[in-house]
Amino acid sequence: MLAAVRSATLFGVEGRPVTVEVHVATGLPAFQIVGLPDEACRESRDRVRAAVLSSGLSWPSCRVTVNLAPSSQRKGGSGLDLPIAVGFLAANGQVPLEAIEGLGFIGELGLDGALRTVSGIAPMVAAMRPARPVVATSGFREAQGVVGDDARVAGTLRDLVDALNADAPWPRPPDDEFVDTDEPPPDLADVRGQGMARKALEVAAAGGHHLLLVGPPGSGKTMLAQRIPGLLPSLAPDVSLQATMIHSAAGVRLPAGGLVRRAPFRAPHHSSSMVSLVGGGSTALRPGEISLAHGGVLFLDELGEFAPVVLDAMRQPLEEGVIRLARARASATLPARFLLVAATNPCPCGGGPPGACECDEAARLRYLRRLSGPLLDRFDLRVGVMRPGVDDLLASGGGEPTAVVVERVARARACAMARIGMLNADIPPSLLDSLAPLHPTARLRLREQLEAEQLTGRGYHRVRRVARTIADLDGAGEEVLEEHVVTALQLRVRLRVSSRERVA
Amino acid sequence: MSALPPEAYVAALAGFDRMSVHRLAALLRHGTPEHAWQVVSGQAPASGLVANVLSDPAVREAWQRNARDRDPSAVWSRCVELGCRVLPYGHADYPCGLLDDLLPPPVLFAMGDLSLLAGRRVGVVGTRNATAAGRQAAMRLGHGLAEQGVHVVSGLARGVDGWAHRGVLSAEGAGRPIGIVASGLDVVYPREHGDLWAATANCGLLLSEVPPGVPPAPHRFPMRNRIVAALSEVVVVVESRERGGSLITAAEALDRGVPLMAVPGVPSNRAAAGTNNLLRDGAAPVIDAADVLTVLQLDHSRSATVRMDQRPRPRTDDVEVYRVLQREPRTIDGVALVAGLSLVEAAMRLARLEAAGWISGADGWFECAGAPLR
Repeated sequence: MLAAVRSATLFGVEGRPVTVEVHVATGLPAFQIVGLPDEACRESRDRVRAAVLSSGLSWPSCRVTVNLAPSSQRKGGSGLDLPIAVGFLAANGQVPLEAIEGLGFIGELGLDGALRTVSGIAPMVAAMRPARPVVATSGFREAQGVVGDDARVAGTLRDLVDALNADAPWPRPPDDEFVDTDEPPPDLADVRGQGMARKALEVAAAGGHHLLLVGPPGSGKTMLAQRIPGLLPSLAPDVSLQATMIHSAAGVRLPAGGLVRRAPFRAPHHSSSMVSLVGGGSTALRPGEISLAHGGVLFLDELGEFAPVVLDAMRQPLEEGVIRLARARASATLPARFLLVAATNPCPCGGGPPGACECDEAARLRYLRRLSGPLLDRFDLRVGVMRPGVDDLLASGGGEPTAVVVERVARARACAMARIGMLNADIPPSLLDSLAPLHPTARLRLREQLEAEQLTGRGYHRVRRVARTIADLDGAGEEVLEEHVVTALQLRVRLRVSSRERVA
Repeated sequence: MSALPPEAYVAALAGFDRMSVHRLAALLRHGTPEHAWQVVSGQAPASGLVANVLSDPAVREAWQRNARDRDPSAVWSRCVELGCRVLPYGHADYPCGLLDDLLPPPVLFAMGDLSLLAGRRVGVVGTRNATAAGRQAAMRLGHGLAEQGVHVVSGLARGVDGWAHRGVLSAEGAGRPIGIVASGLDVVYPREHGDLWAATANCGLLLSEVPPGVPPAPHRFPMRNRIVAALSEVVVVVESRERGGSLITAAEALDRGVPLMAVPGVPSNRAAAGTNNLLRDGAAPVIDAADVLTVLQLDHSRSATVRMDQRPRPRTDDVEVYRVLQREPRTIDGVALVAGLSLVEAAMRLARLEAAGWISGADGWFECAGAPLR
């Protein structure tokens, strides 16, 4: 007897449909899986057999052959346990063949027949469409995020078999109704002083400009960075779906409701490896932190402490918004369009006001050289963060709360999207003159900077984009004025390499 | 006898025995120069400080004797004959640089071009018995400075002083020698410097505190050195022994806040022990004239700063921000808070100041740059 069951495996952040063909024949008792299964997949033989027997079903002595089609593709993970079991039962006649028609199965089996969810439910469910997915109870929210109420659940293999045999109704999906249990992101009102840094956060959120916070330890760089996601609007539906897929594939817990709606905030430690950051792995091509930050914020604290090779690897995704991973057996393109926010000390000792630094120039230079060059150039905004002074602490009240700023940000973003359909940070240089026309005095300021060699050609375009965003935040109309350009320039702090040299 | 100008009395008084800068200044403050003359010759009563001085019988006798022997009109006619001008303190042509000196000369005798004092001036001093290397260094330095139009102030003594001025005279630039001497302008000392003396008077400037005819005396040399220091923008000591007289000039320069530089010598050279000590104490080294020109901000090849402050003067609004930064470096936030400005306004003002070169920013901090705004 032969049965074919629909399922899917995970590849990168994409699901790939798989047909599990099970053939049960007389012969010497055997259980074989073919079709390039990986180790976890091959081990499912033992789990499936134990689960079937534990569920009060029979496993007659026969020859079972499982083929995972298409056979040329590598398959991994334990999510194929359930389709193999269902296929066996169908081929064996314990479940009617027509009952599994139009259904797709994903799930791992326990030896007691319990159904467990696996990572990547969302993309796999998407790949199985139009088949109705059957998943473990705990995977329902993810599946629901993609296919809505078409998803079916089961707690154990026995429940599923009963439902398929129409002996019992389908188990009800869990009714822990949509409750947003996530804490709200921290509020900007908690930040004292730091006017320029606040401004920089606002501009970064409004224009999608990458931001580098430079300041001594304890000056609140991390505190500031954590407040950026709160300034970003909810994800657009398509980005939300992509983010959900990525989070699901990486096995990151999804928020209640199954969809990633709020901009993610990822803050990998500086000891992170390159693969953990950009994604990879030999077969599954797991998404890395930069993909997990898709649509949100990637915060790299102590930027200078990251391995140079790791930072270099981020340059291409920063430009293109995707990461192309290639391995000997597979290659994948994962979305990775994120807002890069990084923090660094100005020098090994932490720096401070002029004269406070104790480092010799060679040490400073060595420290900054790790940042300088191509990566440093990609930050549109570089802002100094200082320990709040006595003045700031005594100044009345905190600053504006997130709720006020987020409205301005949303307006500016809408303004940019209406103009060209992308954020200001992505405006190509050729369109700058038409999209961000400069007032004559603004042009003069930029000319001065260029003539004084304080600004590189690339820096020039970046300043213009930032100035565009600042003008949008001001609601000042189409022309970019002098004050916008000047503010943009001031949001591009130069780093002191030595008493003489500065990195522009 | 036609009425003598007051300068004649001053000139005569300045040549008295036991006269000092303080005593002469007290006499001239006492009343008009004529009155002072009457006081010292015993024809008028003295009061205050002068009475105090005259209470010393040695001084009183010496001065009364001098007043009998020396005729102001003779001194005056000698001055006129020499072409020597007499400049009491406060005279229209009295050198500005000495007006607010720690110990301004009550009177100066000048031969030559007084306008040279308006130019750039570097003092070059050193030991009387210089080594060959020292003489060469002095001459090259004098030559190099004069080529760049810098006048060289020195004491016309043997050794370094003389060679520095010979270097000046050998140059074709606009730099001229300015000699400050300790004797009367007609008493050439040392003798062998007669031609140098004449050349300095002719094409440069010769200054003395004493009237013509007064011979050099040991105590006058240190007093001369103070004028060298006071009239120099930078003092360079070429060679000096461990207790050399030029170290007095160096000390006077330090007292007046005049930058001190020294030419290094090999440690075994005893004639350079004093200069090497100065270097160890923090004087800037001079290898050639360009080092001095850099300090004078005349050397564009080695220094980025230019002689004239070419930075446009900031607007009144911006000056306020500049003053805030003069107190201490600040961030934009700090400036906005202290000056009571909006962030954007503070950013604009800082940008203007930075573009003009008045301040510099790095790591988010701004501080004043270059010469301060006056």
